[in-house]
Amino acid sequence: MKLKQSALALMLGLMISSAQATEARDIQSFTLKNGMKILVLEDASIPNANSYLFWKVGSRNEYPGITGISHFFEHMMFNGAKKYGPKMFDQTMEAAGGANNAYTTEDLTVYTNWFPANVLETIFDLEADRIAHLDINAKMVESERGVVTSERSTGLENSNFQTMHEELKGVAFRAHPYSWPVIGHESDIKAWTLHDLKRFHKTYYAPNNAVMVVAGDVKLAEVKRLAEQYFAPIPSQPEPEAVRTVEPEQKGERRVYVQKASVSSPNILLGFHIPASSSPDYYALDLLNSILSQGNSSRLYQGLVDKELAVDVFSYLPMSFDPNLFYTMAIASPGVKAAELEAALIAVINKVAKEGVSQEELEKAKNQKLMQFYREMETINGKADIIGTYELYFGSYQKLFDAPKEYQKVTAADIQRVAQSYLKKSNRTVAVLDSAEDKDL
Amino acid sequence: MNHIMKAPKVVALALLSSFVFALPVMADQKNTPGSFQLPAYEQLKLDNGLTVFLLPQHEVPLITVQATVRAGAVNDKVAGLAQLTSQALLLGAGGKSKAQIEQLVDFLGASLHSDGSMEGSSLRADFMAKDTEQMLAVFHQVLTQPAFDAAEFEKLKARQVAAVAQAKESPRMVIDQYFNKLVFGAHPYGNAVSGTAASLQSISQQQVKSFHQSYYQPGNTAISIVGDFKAEVMKAQLQKLFANWKNGEAVQQPDLTAELPKAEKAKVLLVNKADAIETTFSFGGIAIKQDNPDYVGISVVNTVLGGRFTSWLNDELRVNSGLTYGAGSGFDRYSASGTFSIGSFTKTESTQAAVDLALKTYQRLWDKGIDQVTLDSAKAYVKGQFPPRFETNTALAGLLGDMYLYGFNQDFINSFQSKVDQLTVAESKRLINSYFPKNQLQFVLVGKAEAIKDIAKTYGEVTQVEITADSF
Repeated sequence: MKLKQSALALMLGLMISSAQATEARDIQSFTLKNGMKILVLEDASIPNANSYLFWKVGSRNEYPGITGISHFFEHMMFNGAKKYGPKMFDQTMEAAGGANNAYTTEDLTVYTNWFPANVLETIFDLEADRIAHLDINAKMVESERGVVTSERSTGLENSNFQTMHEELKGVAFRAHPYSWPVIGHESDIKAWTLHDLKRFHKTYYAPNNAVMVVAGDVKLAEVKRLAEQYFAPIPSQPEPEAVRTVEPEQKGERRVYVQKASVSSPNILLGFHIPASSSPDYYALDLLNSILSQGNSSRLYQGLVDKELAVDVFSYLPMSFDPNLFYTMAIASPGVKAAELEAALIAVINKVAKEGVSQEELEKAKNQKLMQFYREMETINGKADIIGTYELYFGSYQKLFDAPKEYQKVTAADIQRVAQSYLKKSNRTVAVLDSAEDKDL
Repeated sequence: MNHIMKAPKVVALALLSSFVFALPVMADQKNTPGSFQLPAYEQLKLDNGLTVFLLPQHEVPLITVQATVRAGAVNDKVAGLAQLTSQALLLGAGGKSKAQIEQLVDFLGASLHSDGSMEGSSLRADFMAKDTEQMLAVFHQVLTQPAFDAAEFEKLKARQVAAVAQAKESPRMVIDQYFNKLVFGAHPYGNAVSGTAASLQSISQQQVKSFHQSYYQPGNTAISIVGDFKAEVMKAQLQKLFANWKNGEAVQQPDLTAELPKAEKAKVLLVNKADAIETTFSFGGIAIKQDNPDYVGISVVNTVLGGRFTSWLNDELRVNSGLTYGAGSGFDRYSASGTFSIGSFTKTESTQAAVDLALKTYQRLWDKGIDQVTLDSAKAYVKGQFPPRFETNTALAGLLGDMYLYGFNQDFINSFQSKVDQLTVAESKRLINSYFPKNQLQFVLVGKAEAIKDIAKTYGEVTQVEITADSF
């Protein structure tokens, strides 16, 4: 597909606006009778294709006792069904030249396949088998607990962010399920039962709870034919229950300290409550995120790294169904104390709230967004991912083509307003990671 | 960030970073699966010896330009000099300060990256086609007239010293450097690309300037440019910018074929990380160099052993036994030598079970070999996963840079598919016997030494170091 002169350039309204309709039309969609929605992007730039199956289930659909089960399930989906028994999903796919992976977030479980376009039918056959007839085998469950326990440990061993992140979430959320890590509590990983797993599959792995994106060297008619043949017979299920809990408003700063002896300098992670991605403030927050941390001219780099207070900084705005957190993180330069780093990090953020940002910074952030968009559109994988992301988090893939307008509308005053509204002390959780034990002096 | 995945991103193990996948392929324009081809490109040499690759791609209005310089850790007189020099390119140039360049580049939504590796250094710019003129001007200045500003240089050094300590907080970030040192010893391939805290501290601004002068010369550099441009227009622009770049003294390269070590006995480097909750391990030995004519076949064999999710190693250590989240194997190739290693990680208590199982699984290459069905599957997999590897401007520019660095060309690339197709079961046996190190294996274990030192002894002669020690 050639996006060159059109949707892309139009992303931030830089070029002709007439291209918009054309670009939205490049994505075709249909919905099966059982409620499964399928989006198709024909793109013959390489002889490959991919599929993204987005299931609307993640750690937000769990409760204490089964935390981490969404992610565990993501693993179990590879462990055998009716036609393709244990190991056969991967063996069949790889022998056909395909590869796969899957990931779980707070909101979604996503299964990705990348394959030569001529084996599309094999992919449908494999997916349909595990959606309709997953065999949750007791022996496989036990072995997979070991894998997930190792996955959890290796994350904690190798990533300071992961170590702090799960502690911070536990403090920032006291009611909503975003409180626990996606991978789950260790005790829950060891404890969930076959019954929990079977119920989970029936409830959430229903075609009416999924969106599929297929992009690459495929034809809509063929995708439709295969979807009708393989997916349409799978019965729909009652809508899963909505997540009821709303996180109560935070009334003052919360803190958590984590000790890890091998940390060479303190790390600070801040989390601020923000609205869901469907909020009109999303675009201003996203641009603020860029202004804070994208590139060495960003606020955090200039305020902390250039001043030799930190060796690394970042900020992060997750896409999210429910109100979530805006994160900023800094890793101290040698000799800089945690308190000093924390104060400096907060000062950079407060300055944006107090004085706002310049027109030039805003333009820069918009240019960075445009560049990011082009890069996503460079590969069939990026295209499938972004189309699905907009469909899931913004309600429709069409919103991808409204994004230019939405970013363009954001003013410097909007950036200051969202900084003031959300990035404030009473709404903040501070996590400190350091090598020394937390004790009274 | 909030994503928790089925498998480590590259199943063959991001951990080992060494999963050097087979090289690409030029192909016909037909979308026959597996027959992906590198789009047409042009290669030329300016009068000053600068090599230029031009590869137009019009999918998105973006351009990547990459300079590849034949200078890396093998040229280091002090550990980390090549990498630090590449990083110091970005400290200001052509009368602009570091901050001014960053401001300019960021404002355009563009980016500039530099890095030094074992045998090459690179500078890369990614930008929108409409900003070509401005970005090429900056790129040219940064590459050829870096200021190496004294104050900024001291700050960079301090950041890199801290970065070495930080990397050591994560065993998977550093295990390869330990492994290389163990295998290559005093040979230049044993040099720590990142340097150590002390070596970095000792590097002067003058040393960096002189490294730049010695190696960053047009006759020792290639510029690959990929993206949305017209070849004729771009050629003229590059000619105008780079024609006056002068060569200095003749570039001296070390003889890397000299004194390559041979493993005399099995050795274990035990790296103590006192608060480790798992053991990260890697073992293998010296293997093939970049231009090995059998490389494509070797990579198919490696796919079976440890290069994909259903590989023997991942199947045994993860799927059958639940010992780990991932296990794999791979080759790292340099111009005159290279390594092969198997790697994984497991909780401290199951260290022996995991290492033993990895060894036993490796032995299957010789005991049972690869059957026809498995070989066919691996061949299909390697071919099917090939095209997406060269889908972006950045990936293509990197590939062209590697062609320059290692002296291969499209002939090698064109033969990829047919080489995969030609591999037979009998031939796989020859490859296993010729290229996979079988004896005197070298091990690195990073973990809690107190708990695993007796296990370490069973694999060879043990040397124990602290992960916090200033060395690899």
